[in-house]
Amino acid sequence: MKAPPVSISCQGLTLRFPVYGVDAKSLKKHLAKITVGGRLGRSHGTTEVTAISNLNLELKAGDRLGLVGHNGSGKTTLLRALSGAYEPDEGAIEVQGHISALLDLSLGIDPSATGMDNIRLRGRIAGLSSKEIDERLPEIAEFSGLGPFLEMPVKTYSAGMQARLAFAAATAVEADVLLMDEWIAVGDADFQKIAHKRLLKLVERAGILVLASHDVELLRLYCNKVMRLEGGVASEVTPIKNLDALLAA
Amino acid sequence: MDTATHMLRTGRRGPLFEVQMALRDLRSSAQRIDLAWSLAWHDVVSRYRGSILGPLWITLSMGVMVLGIGLLWGELFGVELRTFIPFVALGIVFFGTVTTTINEGCDTFVQAAGMLSQTALPMFTFVWRTVLRNLINLGHHLVIVLAVLAYFGIWRTANYPVALLGLVFLVINVAWISMLVAIISARFRDIPQIVQSVTQAAAIMTPVFWLPDRISARHRVILDLNPFYHLLEAVRAPLLGRGVAPHTYLFLAGLAVVGWALTFGLFANTRRRIVHYL
Repeated sequence: MKAPPVSISCQGLTLRFPVYGVDAKSLKKHLAKITVGGRLGRSHGTTEVTAISNLNLELKAGDRLGLVGHNGSGKTTLLRALSGAYEPDEGAIEVQGHISALLDLSLGIDPSATGMDNIRLRGRIAGLSSKEIDERLPEIAEFSGLGPFLEMPVKTYSAGMQARLAFAAATAVEADVLLMDEWIAVGDADFQKIAHKRLLKLVERAGILVLASHDVELLRLYCNKVMRLEGGVASEVTPIKNLDALLAA
Repeated sequence: MDTATHMLRTGRRGPLFEVQMALRDLRSSAQRIDLAWSLAWHDVVSRYRGSILGPLWITLSMGVMVLGIGLLWGELFGVELRTFIPFVALGIVFFGTVTTTINEGCDTFVQAAGMLSQTALPMFTFVWRTVLRNLINLGHHLVIVLAVLAYFGIWRTANYPVALLGLVFLVINVAWISMLVAIISARFRDIPQIVQSVTQAAAIMTPVFWLPDRISARHRVILDLNPFYHLLEAVRAPLLGRGVAPHTYLFLAGLAVVGWALTFGLFANTRRRIVHYL
């Protein structure tokens, strides 16, 4: 059976976040609110923040979309929604293809476990079988450049070494759809060079890339399209050559 | 969720649709049960990393506790040690499994916040992780159970198939309680404290350290309405070579049906919100 082509489709996507403040998390306050008829807190219900409103997006294989926008404009939220973690409040998201989200390098990293164990754990979360992980281990280990340190607990690593490990493990899974938050600039100059190469290869192999970044140069390097988010409202998707105009707008 | 290469998320609502989505979450967690298993093993191993005996500590510390309490309390209550130690050993082991699975349930989703907010992993996976982790620990405790059964010569009269049936009842019920507190704890951070108080009270109210026949007929209602008593009795009684009262099974079956309906209903209702609670 041939899989349908890789694609991302969002129609009228709206995401609202209920804000459960520290207040709302206490049962006592919740009960108190009920008994005094809401005078304690806001009148009723929870405050909601609209993180993404009515976003339409169609991407197909070969599209490398850069997301730009200020902090809090909804870039990360959109990436998380695309990864399947958030349910839309309105509209729909449909993604064809194996998704890999490099949003947080520390996903599934257990500081007291050894480097090797962490690579395995990360692989399991990404959906690899133990056998597949075993096949990839030598390659991941070599790429990380950590050598004998892989047998030591991650908590003994320096920050740069941790980043190396996380990056090596996170990028070991092939994906059709690659979601990345910021540019994951990690490690020393040497490692940055090979990390860059590896990412380029991953991007080439992936059908679609969605990258959120503030770095204009990197966006130009990796993306062929760009979209701007402003307070959860998305601009049109335009070719990367219009990036300056888009940012100035 | 969905399949490995297709994901669909919609803003569709409606009770029927929510239940369908919750069922789908359950199904995909079943398909990836090996992931829950890996995570559970990882938890067990990492807890004892760096120690010489490793997970054997689970067995050892439980053994010390059983021996200490068995000897002391048996003496205090003037009960024959031959009957009391096996009784206490089985009680501590299985009641411990019940209460820790429930207590640790409070952390199920809170602990998985990082993964839930950037992957499409089924939520049930983390419920199974907690349950399986405790079953792995129970596996270590079984060494004590078997040792005690062998030492006191009860192993010949123990009814293992019936005990296994009881264990199935126990796991099914503990799983829903664990999931229920997982959901509520994600929303309200007071719940773990409440849950701990309840399980502590249950340890006193349930015949773990005292023999159920010490209770007068007038107060038997304390046992008959105590779900923890029935959970424990379904496993402990057959291992001690006693029969299980039919109404215990009836109670546990009813508890499972009502409990799962309640928990699943709550899950269907809050599924799309849980990740925002965290």
